[in-house]
Amino acid sequence: MKKKFDRENIVYVVVFSFVVCAVFVAGLAAANEATAPKVRANREFASQAAVLDALGIAYSDPAEAASLYASAVRPIEGAVPRAYVAERPDGLHYAVEVTGAGLWGAITIVAAAGESLERLDGIQVLAQNETPGLGGRIDEPWFKEQFRGERVAGGRVRISAGAEAGGSGANDPEDGLVDGVSGATRTSQAMEQIIAAAIARLAEVAGGGK
Amino acid sequence: MSAKPGKILVDNLWFNNPVLIQVLGICSTLAVTNNVRNTLVMTVGVSLATAFSSWTLSLMKDLIPRKVRMIVQVLVISFYVIIIDILLRAYLPDASRQLGPYVGLIITNCIIMGRAEAFAAANKPLVSFWDGLTSGIGYMAVLVAIALVRELLGFGSVLGFRIMPDGFVPWTIMITAPSAFFLVAMVMWLARNLQARREAAAKAAKASPKPAAGPSPAKA
Repeated sequence: MKKKFDRENIVYVVVFSFVVCAVFVAGLAAANEATAPKVRANREFASQAAVLDALGIAYSDPAEAASLYASAVRPIEGAVPRAYVAERPDGLHYAVEVTGAGLWGAITIVAAAGESLERLDGIQVLAQNETPGLGGRIDEPWFKEQFRGERVAGGRVRISAGAEAGGSGANDPEDGLVDGVSGATRTSQAMEQIIAAAIARLAEVAGGGK
Repeated sequence: MSAKPGKILVDNLWFNNPVLIQVLGICSTLAVTNNVRNTLVMTVGVSLATAFSSWTLSLMKDLIPRKVRMIVQVLVISFYVIIIDILLRAYLPDASRQLGPYVGLIITNCIIMGRAEAFAAANKPLVSFWDGLTSGIGYMAVLVAIALVRELLGFGSVLGFRIMPDGFVPWTIMITAPSAFFLVAMVMWLARNLQARREAAAKAAKASPKPAAGPSPAKA
């Protein structure tokens, strides 16, 4: 009589687990490897697009963004974290990458301003893990557009807590004050800190620092 | 045990809906449903992950030792979820950025493990695939319905297109998790009520059988 195949044999269990893990992990490694160039290109586009957005340079597709970036923007060598300089019709403009603590995790933004640092050109959010629908709304256009041309007062742009109601944002660029996200006071406060740090960093970079 | 594909579909969409009846996958229901687009991406991901992991586990079911059954299930499920994450990162970078950690969290969605354990472990691969897919669609139907209400009232838009007039004041609570609690509860109440009513009607029909269907007295 044929002996029944014993699935509970310890040797079989170990070999089976090992083989199954190896096969699936190999599959994942292959998939990761195959898409790595594409993911890298996406990331590069995201970072270039963020710098262009912060500087207020308009583009319509990835190819145009890449060529605009290549012609207008120059990374500052040796700057850590990354900083960029762009020659615009009205003089030199700088863009810096700044990371700071949000409510749940790090928030990384790109902020840009002209050499005089009187006004921000704009900001763009590169990475954030805030609550979707609340703090995550710092990545929405109405929030970011508030900083476009906003006056820098005393080295910072203030963000009022819980001021926004209709997703429209403050539109007076002269008062150095923008609307925070209502329901996300802590994230709004964090953004105020991060933008203050970005302005300090812009001053450093514009002064020739790395 | 061999269930008919049509019956599996109806069961998973309605009589045994994973969210409404089995009350599985509630965490993601609360988290992602304030925006229809993210809900769609997330639920398509869950449907595919459930379908493929059920299929794979059913293929392997005669080889898996009982002792490591759950470990293998989790391995297979995470394999498919990570594949989905990789594909999103490569081909839908914006959606991937917005969904952030939620895609990875599909691994912990109880529906996938539930179907693997309750169905795929005892059924043939193709029918397991179908069961997983329809379970995911049942989940999708409920979540998209909730997301439609939440995005419409919370943002005044659907899929990012503005629907509500300009004067509309968004209901902030619809963006936050509590609204999902009461919307899910309302949908559950509705579904269970409808099902209970139907059951009662079926019972009543059995207890007092209607006169045999035949040519009834003509009505002009």
